Amino acid sequence: MAGPHQVARAAHKGPSVVKEIVYGITLGISAGLLWKMHHWNHQRRTKEFYDLLERGEISVVVEDE
Amino acid sequence: MQGIIDLHHDIFFFLILILVFVSRILVRALWHFHYQKNPIPQRIVHGTTIEILRTIFPSIIPMFIAIPSFALLYSMDEVVVDPAITIKAIGHQWYRTYEYSDYNSSDEQSLTFDSYTIPEDDLELGQSRLLEVDNRVVVPAKTHLRILVTSADVPHSWAVPSLGVKCDAVPGRLNQISISVQREGVYYGEGSLTYGFQAWREAKGLDFTYDQISGQQ
Repeated sequence: MAGPHQVARAAHKGPSVVKEIVYGITLGISAGLLWKMHHWNHQRRTKEFYDLLERGEISVVVEDE
Repeated sequence: MQGIIDLHHDIFFFLILILVFVSRILVRALWHFHYQKNPIPQRIVHGTTIEILRTIFPSIIPMFIAIPSFALLYSMDEVVVDPAITIKAIGHQWYRTYEYSDYNSSDEQSLTFDSYTIPEDDLELGQSRLLEVDNRVVVPAKTHLRILVTSADVPHSWAVPSLGVKCDAVPGRLNQISISVQREGVYYGEGSLTYGFQAWREAKGLDFTYDQISGQQ
């Protein structure tokens, strides 16, 4: 059986559900935003590649020797 | 293909959000309610507010996923109005036949050729095993193409993963797909349906027929 000090501790120090949910959502959105930054960077690099290809500054065709 | 990749990245954002949120809640619950830290278990049987919230929010997330998903789905299904070329891909056991019929007059036969996988023993240095074929399909780059897919015997499948296309080749049916190749190169395709014992033996796995498209200006 738990002692009186343990009961008092359990009664006064429970987690706040709202706080935990808010922290969790914030963390989740931050992690998602990191992924989104990776996605935007990938999109930008892809667009740059095709723009350079369009302008003729790069080529994907190997020149015949 | 870029649309498919972008959709995947959009959905992955929600996957990461849910994964991090659920993992955090789980870890925090294990931390707060550890038997040494919290010896008296809480007797909670109802929580109307949280039950409503945990029903509504997870149903909103699929709505956000559905919007770009349906946009891509319907745009992929749009009929290409004016393709530069139409190619017919006919599946056989176990090779492909390709027909270019656009530029012949009525009394001429279409340009038709068969495309077989190069056997492993005949491969040259640098060639990919089970992906190279003897006659590649040559198509123009940076234009819309229409591919009509059918089969002469059993159902097959015609797929080019790097172009984001896959289409079933069903005998007696003509399926249509649109492709736009953005740069020159060699694109490898695979068959992904197997029918018959012979297919299993030759394929040594799931894939059994291979073809290539080389995009050239």
